[in-house]
Amino acid sequence: MELGLDVQKVDSHAVVDVKGEIDVYTAPKLREKLIELVSEGSYDVVVNLEGVDFLDSTGLGVLVGALKRVKAHDGSLSLVCTQDKILKIFKITGLTKVFPIHSSVDDATTASSE
Amino acid sequence: MTGVDIAIPPRSVYVGVVRLAVAALARQAGLDEDEVDNLRIAVSEACTTVVLAQEGDGNDDPVTVRWDDTEDEVSVEIEGASPPAVAPADVDDSQGFSSRDVLSQALLESLVDESSFDDRDGGRVTRLVIRRH
Repeated sequence: MELGLDVQKVDSHAVVDVKGEIDVYTAPKLREKLIELVSEGSYDVVVNLEGVDFLDSTGLGVLVGALKRVKAHDGSLSLVCTQDKILKIFKITGLTKVFPIHSSVDDATTASSE
Repeated sequence: MTGVDIAIPPRSVYVGVVRLAVAALARQAGLDEDEVDNLRIAVSEACTTVVLAQEGDGNDDPVTVRWDDTEDEVSVEIEGASPPAVAPADVDDSQGFSSRDVLSQALLESLVDESSFDDRDGGRVTRLVIRRH
């Protein structure tokens, strides 16, 4: 089981495109990438979950950890997600109140620049 | 009634194998796609909790997953080591974010019709049920 991670710069944002399943086995790879971005000075991060087939509580924990890291630098972490099966995980756990969730990368970068 | 037993080594890489098996069994049992997805998430959460507990303790006993399918319900029992108790102070961190255990518990309670935990002799059996409508 592989997790695909592709990072691109969009304006002042680091956009992380995630593909595959985020679970207890693959979440450490995502955590390392997000830590690396922050340590390199990327404090405005967008995580694109449109290519994610599965997300569990360990994946949520990684995203919460990354949010805390960017907030420590007055940064932002936004998500892109339109899939009902992934959105329901955020709704059940109450994290829709914690993460700004957008329907496209453009929306996410525009909103967090305002 | 159809019964299927699966045993995996307590390693995180095998949790995905259980998800695949449970999704296939759930489709075979006639659950709809929402129920299939909910059950595979819940089973994955329960397996993850056990695997993390056993990896932390260096416990190499297999994690067992028992599938049962009856006219009235589909049930899955996940058996392995008990996770360490979560102290009330560890439920939320200093910034008010819930721990992985709390997030996982919320998912288990919401995604299936019934979830129960039986802790005894250092082990835990988590039972997850989806009732047929």
